[in-house]
Amino acid sequence: MVSKDSCRNEIRAAIRQLTDRCLYSAAKWAGEQLVGIEQDPSNFTPANTRFQRGSSSIRRRFSTNESISTPLPSIGFSQAATPLPEEDEAIDGDFYLLAKSYFDCREYRRASHVLRDQVSKKSVFLRYYALYLAGEKRKEEEMIELEGPLGKSDAINRELVSLERDLSALRRTGAIDSFGLYLYGVVLKEKGNESLARASLVESVNSYPWNWSAWSELQSLCTSIEILNSLNLNNHWMKEFFLGNAYQELRMHTESLAKYEYLQGIFSFSNYIQAQTAKAQYSLREFDQVEIMFEELLRNDPYRVEDMDLYSNVLYAKEACAALSYLAHKVFSTDKYRPESCCIIGNYYSLKGQHEKAVMYFRRALKLNKKYLSAWTLMGHEYVEMKNTPAAIDAYRRAVDINPCDYRAWYGLGQAYEMMGMPFYALHYFRKSIFFLPNDSRLWIAMAKCYQTEQLYMLEEAIKCYKRAVNCTDTEGIALNQLAKLHQKLGRNEEAAFYFEKDLERMDAEGLEGPNMFEALVFLATHFKTHKKFEEAEVYCTRLLDYSGPEKEKAKSLLRGIRMAQTGFPSMDLEHFPI
Amino acid sequence: MAGLTRTAGAFAVTPHKISVCILLQIYAPSAQMSLPFPFSSVAQHNRLGLYLLSLTKSCDDIYEPKLEKLINQLREVGEEMDAWLTDHLTNRFSSLASPDDLLNFFNDMRGILGSLDSGVVQDDQIILDPNSNLGMFVRRCILAFNLLSFEGVCHLFSSIEDYCKEAHSSFAQFGAPNNNLESLIQYDQMDMENYAMDKPTEEIEFQKTASGIVPFHLHTPDSLMKATEGLLHNRKETSRTSKKDTEATPVARASSSTLEESLVDESLFLRTNLQIQGFLMEQADAIEIHGSSSSFSSSSIESFLDQLQKLAPELHRVHFLRYLNKLHSDDYFAALDNLLRYFDYSAGTEGFDLVPPSTGCSMYGRYEIGLLCLGMMHFRFGHPNLALEVLTEAVRVSQQLSNDTCLAYTLAAMSNLLSEMGIASTSGVLGSSYSPVTSTASSLSVQQRVYILLKESLRRADSLKLRRLVASNHLAMAKFELMHVQRPLLSFGPKASMRHKTCPVSVCKEIRLGAHLISDFSSESSTMTIDGSLSSAWLKDLQKPWGPPVISPDSGSRKSSTFFQLCDHLVSIPGSVSQLIGASYLLRATSWELYGSAPMARMNTLVYATLFGDSSSSSDAELAYLKLIQHLALYKGYKDAFAALKVAEEKFLTVSKSKVLLLKLQLLHERALHCGNLKLAQRICNELGGLASTAMGVDMELKVEASLREARTLLAAKQYSQAANVAHSLFCTCHKFNLQIEKASVLLLLAEIHKKSGNAVLGLPYALASISFCQSFNLDLLKASATLTLAELWLGLGSNHTKRALDLLHGAFPMILGHGGLELRARAYIFEANCYLSDPSSSVSTDSDTVLDSLRQASDELQALEYHELAAEASYLMAMVYDKLGRLDEREEAASLFKKHIIALENPQDVEQNMA
Repeated sequence: MVSKDSCRNEIRAAIRQLTDRCLYSAAKWAGEQLVGIEQDPSNFTPANTRFQRGSSSIRRRFSTNESISTPLPSIGFSQAATPLPEEDEAIDGDFYLLAKSYFDCREYRRASHVLRDQVSKKSVFLRYYALYLAGEKRKEEEMIELEGPLGKSDAINRELVSLERDLSALRRTGAIDSFGLYLYGVVLKEKGNESLARASLVESVNSYPWNWSAWSELQSLCTSIEILNSLNLNNHWMKEFFLGNAYQELRMHTESLAKYEYLQGIFSFSNYIQAQTAKAQYSLREFDQVEIMFEELLRNDPYRVEDMDLYSNVLYAKEACAALSYLAHKVFSTDKYRPESCCIIGNYYSLKGQHEKAVMYFRRALKLNKKYLSAWTLMGHEYVEMKNTPAAIDAYRRAVDINPCDYRAWYGLGQAYEMMGMPFYALHYFRKSIFFLPNDSRLWIAMAKCYQTEQLYMLEEAIKCYKRAVNCTDTEGIALNQLAKLHQKLGRNEEAAFYFEKDLERMDAEGLEGPNMFEALVFLATHFKTHKKFEEAEVYCTRLLDYSGPEKEKAKSLLRGIRMAQTGFPSMDLEHFPI
Repeated sequence: MAGLTRTAGAFAVTPHKISVCILLQIYAPSAQMSLPFPFSSVAQHNRLGLYLLSLTKSCDDIYEPKLEKLINQLREVGEEMDAWLTDHLTNRFSSLASPDDLLNFFNDMRGILGSLDSGVVQDDQIILDPNSNLGMFVRRCILAFNLLSFEGVCHLFSSIEDYCKEAHSSFAQFGAPNNNLESLIQYDQMDMENYAMDKPTEEIEFQKTASGIVPFHLHTPDSLMKATEGLLHNRKETSRTSKKDTEATPVARASSSTLEESLVDESLFLRTNLQIQGFLMEQADAIEIHGSSSSFSSSSIESFLDQLQKLAPELHRVHFLRYLNKLHSDDYFAALDNLLRYFDYSAGTEGFDLVPPSTGCSMYGRYEIGLLCLGMMHFRFGHPNLALEVLTEAVRVSQQLSNDTCLAYTLAAMSNLLSEMGIASTSGVLGSSYSPVTSTASSLSVQQRVYILLKESLRRADSLKLRRLVASNHLAMAKFELMHVQRPLLSFGPKASMRHKTCPVSVCKEIRLGAHLISDFSSESSTMTIDGSLSSAWLKDLQKPWGPPVISPDSGSRKSSTFFQLCDHLVSIPGSVSQLIGASYLLRATSWELYGSAPMARMNTLVYATLFGDSSSSSDAELAYLKLIQHLALYKGYKDAFAALKVAEEKFLTVSKSKVLLLKLQLLHERALHCGNLKLAQRICNELGGLASTAMGVDMELKVEASLREARTLLAAKQYSQAANVAHSLFCTCHKFNLQIEKASVLLLLAEIHKKSGNAVLGLPYALASISFCQSFNLDLLKASATLTLAELWLGLGSNHTKRALDLLHGAFPMILGHGGLELRARAYIFEANCYLSDPSSSVSTDSDTVLDSLRQASDELQALEYHELAAEASYLMAMVYDKLGRLDEREEAASLFKKHIIALENPQDVEQNMA
């Protein structure tokens, strides 16, 4: 394991370099990790420590200090970090300084113009980066301006062509640094040249691993585990972060959790890792745990909006209306024009039962980010609630087309079609969703129900699905009961008894009671009685006697029958005599 | 979401529309004169009007034409005044110097519209009626312009600049095109032209990247790049014009320095929604007609669909087209995916003209149509059970949503499925869901279900006035009547009439009813596509006289030819209608084939091939060809048939699910049997079996054919018991899947097997059963053949039955000689001779001529078939007769012939080699 100190020093230098190149989100990410490293208090003065821990320390051993996102490390440390590339100029050029301030004021084109004759690598990168961003900005504007009658016209970033030309020329002459490679990778990706983009990004992260933006771009290009494994990456602790994230996106949640656990050894106070862990746990449906984690996260970082939509989903699932309302109001006051905020508010309204308003907020989220996957899916749910199935189907389908692995949207599609009385059509969608998440009992149960509908009535298939659901640890306990009933319906009493017994065990273990229990007991008692297993039958009958109602009477009569049967044949004959 | 809220057919101002507006200004200037300035005749004026009308309606591409193309067309429309027209157009464009000028321009446009209510218009004033097509167009343009935001006007202005610039650079050089012959030759040699023409859309991609990368990656000469670019612009034009332009463009480009850096695809504007829909519909028809034949590459469609989807993501019909394309290139997963996507997005409400929009229920969408399509897709891919499930669901959902149209179509699809696929029993599939027949459904056989479904579908289609469905239902009904004995549904009680016969009259009636479509199809077809295709045809005609001079030698005939062509289009029948009518002819041919009239079958097939050959789907056309080839093989021998087959192979082998291979194998098998090459026959048999799908109930026809041929091969190899076994199991299969007609031929085969094995007594019942089957299905030719076998069996019982055998034979003779194939006729002749020879009462010497005549006939016909076994028999008999008559020379001749055939029979490989 790498030492915490070396990590710290590397990150400090990296933040400076990233900020110099205006790669702000990467710098932000690095900063978060920097204060996430647990420090040995003895090495530092308390003031320094406090400064370092900053707002994101979890246990709040130190008083919080909100103001930092980029700490100022002492200058000496940047030399100590061995693999860091040296800056190519000791003093920044005047033009660079001007350009950077233009950039900071978001005047990208101006910034790139100022740097037109600069040759230092930093300036060159900034020039191209500013140009790229200027093109992106214009693209966004044009997308709205040029929107045709049938949807968007193909607005493109007009700088891409010249950028690709210049960067590839630089690359061939070897005059490109890792940041340039990152930008080149981004440009290639936008132009649709994925494999070349991957190669460029891999080269970039291998020579300069601290640029999280490059890693994220690389992750977005790893659409399958095969691609991920084929990447030739140097070992570095940043790679672990990358792998954790990539595994999560590939739905390998346990592997991802293992990575984060390992990283927590160094970055024990990192909010990022905590949020990622929470995400993974959410996918594993450990809602209670996730809720606790998010509460803690919010306590440490109260103005955080990222990932909070997930928290709202958890609160929604747990129907914690008050907490959701609190969260919604909080993010609203922090930054209302974030897709996450809109999504949280949408969830809030949905929980309140005001589906039209919820749809409005989901729509707003989508206006802010057209590819915001969960908003499409959630909007689909809202439309389902509003009984507007075509709109729901449309919304779900958009989610699926953005990310074909989104099992929730496939599931939603299936449900919508089932609602419309097209179970056979729906089956295809359920199958799709199960393909992406084969270990979820809910999906199997949904599919089984589909088979069970009176239109299809394919009970054998339903049984198969329920069996799979049982194997996936069905938490709601529907599958066992249904299996038993189906077998009973098909006249396979042995199997029915087997599943009723299992269901009974489960209910006993969870301390549940209810009509299912009676049903199971009555069936088992009669079943064992007819098979002359009187002892077992008696056990079930006596259990039934504990309850009141018609079951009790039934149990009594059963017991009477058993007694008579046990005493021998004469009593059997007696039954036939009229009294 | 977006798809549901967006207004369909929204309209955007584009440079091309401005050109049309400018031309409209010329067409209808607000000034008051009977004939505006540049026109010399009213006809000319009208011609421009027609041209403008078709410009706004034609649907031959997704993009609006470029200025260059427009100018080319104008040149043809304008005739003498073309120079004036183009000059005016370009001048008008160059006068648009600032966005303000655009504003003024559209203000002026208002002037050419008449006021909405004024009825008082002077006779000689030309004013556009605001409610006419062109008037509406102008109004929409003005409205769309007024709605534009400031940025929108700026974008429009800059795109106008691009639009003019491109045309200018090429146009400037047009006057003196021929001084660059050298470069032209160079390009020709590199064959870039063909390349570019073949893959126009790929070229766009290529070009897009190329414009940036050329200096680095590709070391192609710059001018060459430009050449392909130029070609691209003209890709839709006739080869002649495009050549001219290509030649001009690169030069112009090269000279006009590098200001052509702006992205080319920027100036590609989509046409209006309606036009694109029309284009997509035409493409859909094209996919259906051509299938995946070589002339029609699915990848080119795919690439233009990609392009379209990128430009108009809310146009969901693209997904449907992609589904069709994938369906025809047999890509199951992609087809399924795209079908589902289409219905998810559009809820079945976009682009389907199957249901008039007024009856559609917007709230629920029309997902039942999705089910119907899915069902038909499964059917095509050979999943009958899945298809049945899906269609059942479709029936249920359309009943639930009371979509009667869809229900009618679904029922028709279902009956089609049931009759095509071998489904042993449908209990549980149909019984639970389809209420009109629920009460009786459980006890019904498959055919009865088919009948009910058809009737039901026909009734609904009739009441909904769905002419095409009615017609195709009539055809399906005819097919059903052809194959099945009509039996009353409730067949018990004293009054149940049991007429165990098919009814050719009702078949004929149904076919004729189906063909009625041709007189009243117009009510259903959508006017949009007709208008659109008419307009695009008109525009294409513009260019025809520009083509090779052979077609139009002088300008006089050119005018008239355009006129007639236009008339031709005006009365043109939609493709789907002529396809149906064509299908009725094919069905006629099939029914005559079954009923045993070779000339009638041949005639109907020929009618089909000549009249409907190009408008029909390729599978139907293939079927017609195959029928003709089969006819040739039966009546003319193999040489002709194989020659014809070669032609058909070239034409149809690339069609998916091609039956050409099947026919080839059949012919080869037949010939191998005749030549006695049993090993080859066996191998072909196995190959034939391998063609069929392994799924139950799919490809039944093929499977039956394969095992029938297997039995025949075994019979030829004298493995009688095995042959009988195969035939028996085949009979069981036929019985299970209700293949009645096949049953008759299997029975005949069994009789044949017993005859050959020398068990004439055992053979008799089979022959009789076969005859009775033939009788009830009116299979006259097969019956004649069965009668012949029966006669042969009688003769096999001993010479005392000769009289009876001869009587039977003579009864069947008219049919055999009139309609039978070569083999059957030869067999009959030989058998007749055999009868005479074995008849103790008649002596050869008295009646030698009749015997010799028939034998000679037989051996002639067998020569064409290369049927050595029978030919040997004929020569043997001839030799015997000559021997009896004492004509020794002729006897020797016949004997040597006999020897030759026997040798050929014993060494089939030699013959094979000769043939190869």
